[in-house]
Order: sequence, then C-alpha cells, then structure tokens
Amino acid sequence: MTDDTTPMTDGGTDEEARTDGGPPATVPPDDETPTWSERKERSQGLAQLTYQYFERSRREDEDLRTESTYVERDVLGFPTWPHETIRNLAITSFFLGIMLLVASIMPGHFGDPANPGSTPAIILPDWYLYWSFGLLKLDPINPDLAVLGGNIVMSNELLGLIAHGAIFGVITLVPFLNKGNARRPVEEPGWAALGVAGVILAITLAVLAIQNFFPVPLELLFSLVFMLPVAGGVITYAVLKTMREGYMYDLNRRYYMLRPPK
Amino acid sequence: MSLKKQDDMDHNAWLKSQDLTAIETAFLTTLIWLDKRLRIVDYLELLETMYYRANLQMPKSHTEQYDLDNKFWYWYPLYSLGSLSIIAYLLAAVSGALLGFYYAPSTAGAAAQGDPTAAYDSMVMIMTDVQFGFMLRSIHRWSAQFMVAAVFLHMLRVYFTGAYKEPREVNWILGVVLIALTLLFGFSGYVLPWKQLSFWAAQIGVELALATPIIGEWAAQLLFGGFTLGQATLVRMYILHVFVLPFVVTALIAIHVGIVWVQGIAEPH
Repeated sequence: MTDDTTPMTDGGTDEEARTDGGPPATVPPDDETPTWSERKERSQGLAQLTYQYFERSRREDEDLRTESTYVERDVLGFPTWPHETIRNLAITSFFLGIMLLVASIMPGHFGDPANPGSTPAIILPDWYLYWSFGLLKLDPINPDLAVLGGNIVMSNELLGLIAHGAIFGVITLVPFLNKGNARRPVEEPGWAALGVAGVILAITLAVLAIQNFFPVPLELLFSLVFMLPVAGGVITYAVLKTMREGYMYDLNRRYYMLRPPK
Repeated sequence: MSLKKQDDMDHNAWLKSQDLTAIETAFLTTLIWLDKRLRIVDYLELLETMYYRANLQMPKSHTEQYDLDNKFWYWYPLYSLGSLSIIAYLLAAVSGALLGFYYAPSTAGAAAQGDPTAAYDSMVMIMTDVQFGFMLRSIHRWSAQFMVAAVFLHMLRVYFTGAYKEPREVNWILGVVLIALTLLFGFSGYVLPWKQLSFWAAQIGVELALATPIIGEWAAQLLFGGFTLGQATLVRMYILHVFVLPFVVTALIAIHVGIVWVQGIAEPH
C-alpha cells in the first residue's frame, strides 16, 4: 500500500485512481437480504393482494346493488330498435343536412397563393384559434412581469405559450379541484361564474386577435379583455346566488316528496 | 401426489352413457377434443357473462327516478354535441379522403415568390375542374368548422352540468387532449392550401415553436421540418393531417366513447 499522496505515472495520486468509494459490486447476503423464495412469495403476494382487492370490489358492487333502493325495471330499457335507432338516425341526418346546407350556401373564400416575400396586413388563423392568437398579443403586459430593471424576462411568444399552458393546465385540473355531487350551475355559483368568465375570456381574446377590425383604442380594448370576464363572472355569481334560494327550495321539495327521510 | 394421470371428469364415459345420434356424438367429440386443448368453456362463460350484461335488468335511471324527463329532454340538444362532433368528424374523413385523390402537397412550380405552387394549383383544380369539387372542399371545410364548434360546446356542456366529476376525471382529461388535437387538425388543414393566410399562420406556428425553451428547435424541426417554411413544412403538415392525426384522434375518440359507454352518461340532477 503506497502513501495516498504518492504521484502516479500519469501525474495523479493514488487516491484518485481508486473507485469513488461506493459499495463493492456484489453484496454478500445478510439477514436483511430476502432469499429467492421470499422474493417469489412477495411477488405472488402482490398478485394475491390484487386478487383480493378485485374480490372485495366485486363484493362491494354486489352489496351496493342489493342495498340499492332503485326500482328494478320490468322492461329491458329503451328499445334500441326501433326507438333509439330512429332517434339517432333523425339526429344524424339533421346534423348532416345542416352541414351540407351550410357548405352549399357558404363555400369558403379562397385567397392568394403564399408569398414568403410579402407579409399580409392581417394574419389570422381560422376562427377557432382566435383565442389562441389573442394570447400571443399579450405583449402589453409583458414588461409588467419584468423583474430585472424593466428588461422583459421572456419573449412575447414565450409569454403567449405559457398562457396557453396555464389555461390548458387549469382546465385539466378542474375535476380534481371541484368535487362533490353538484350538477347544476345554481348549486355551485362560484364554478359557474368561473366557467362564464372563461367563455367570455375566450371571446375577448378572440376580439383581441382581430383588433384591426375594431375601432377601439388598443389600451381600452386590452383592459376590456380582462375586465369583461371578471364582470361576467361577478354578475353570474350574483344572479345564481339569488336564484339559488328558490331553486334549492324547489329541488329539496321535489327530492323530499320522492324520497322522504327515513 | 401421484404421477398417475388424473381424470376427474371422464367425458368419454359420459358420452357413451348418453344415447346420442351420430351427429351429436361427432359434435361432442370435437367439442371435447377442442376444449381439452383450448379451454373453450372459459370463452363460453365469457360470452354468457356478456349476454347477461347486455340484457341486464337495468336499475331505473336517475331521470326516471326523479321524474326529470321533461328537464332532460329540454336540454337534450346539448347532450348530442359529442355525437355531432363525431358525425362531423366522419363527414370530414369521407370528404377528406376524396379530396386526397386530387390534392398534391408540393410547393413546386412557383417561378417567382408569390406564384401559385403545385399545392395551390391542385386546390384551384379541385375547385374549378373536378366534378363536385367545389362542394367537396366546402363540405370538408364546413364539417371541420362544425366539429371544432361542437367540440367546444360539448366541453362547455360537460363543464356546466358538472359531468366531469368523480368517476369521470380521466375522460375529461382525454377530452382536453382531444380538443388540443382537434385544433392541431384544424391548423394543419389550414396550412395545406398554401395560401397567403396558410403560409403566415404556419410562420406564426414556427415562431411559437422556436420560442419554446429547451425543446423549441426540436419541435420546429419535427412539426415544420425546419426553421423556414417550405416543401418540408407542407409535407409534414400533410402527413400529420392525413396520416398521424386521423389514427390518433380516431383511437382516442373510440376510447372516449368507450369510457362513456362503461361509465354511463352523467345525467343532470
């Protein structure tokens, strides 16, 4: 064993030539190390657990079904033929007819061929991406988000992208944030207000995207883009809160009549 | 345990004890022979289970139970928006397949900047020379518009009736993915005619992709085939529009509807 600081042929020391101090590649089995049969048992145990869980959930289902107060039908549901089929055919042909009608009376405008050399005065996607396009025009608020002496932290495009991500993120998270059995907007005025605000925001963002068509000062338009959704949300909340009393009274009465308390 | 062959069920003896016709004997022999090898009985049980599932005595639905039929049917149009988007999707698929016979995804043929390219010319050809072509393109375009509109309204309906709640979170997320893909469908289709608006919409797409940190340049390469628009962009958008997205979106719609089928429609209170 040489001294640690003894120079080696490549100029380093013996210390560097060693491994990084980790454990040796093979670990001798000790009391804690599971044997192969134990490992096998454990994996079978998982399967066992899964099986037991499924049994339990099946039992749970069955219990719920037997305890249920639902009245079993004596007919087998709404007949697929002819009732459901005819209804679906009617709806389908109605929609198809509407689409063909609209397509025949309003064929699309076809513009000039692409010219990479001349940027048109108005660049627009199809109407359903206006909101997205509007999100790319948030540059007036970009400097406000700056922290470093007025220099913008991110490009305007990146700001738009982050706004997209935020919107999609919030929409995705909705079912995890709003739980419970409420199904009507009146039952949850806050969430209904949020939804209305979202819809209005989509519309105002679309208007922001086609700002050229609106003879409104940009400052005012930009304020309206964010004020109108808030206003819409507040109004919705107020209206629903007011309606709620009457609605809930009606609902409770109906539920009470149908399902008197035990 | 002995190594002697066990045969709990002596099927052959049972067969002999029965008074069977030749056809029955042949059938049963074949069946037993197959069943010993393929265990058909399991699949028969599966079929049986499915039969009873399909013909289950359903409990009364929520609407029936609480006599909400009038309410439900009043709002029914809002409950057919998902169906409308599928119908529009199918119409777009059919008309799109027909358009695909005539469309050429190529930027060739432009002598100078701003001249019509092969893609643009093929669109003009579809609209002026092809029998029914003008209508065909119009149908394709409008069915796409209808699909997007229906998908948006469908989402609103689901939101405002709280249909995304507890057991249906996964389907909500799937729906969000489907909306994003529908928009991508629309965007890629918008680029294909290689009009001024198509080109500059794609230009914004490239700029957006490039503005993304870390994966930006990679995304621009993947989706637009480079940092400047050209033949590669058009072909990528074309393949995305007619090959990748149709498969992905169709599969996701199938799963989406399948989950609705399994979980049932969330009826309003």
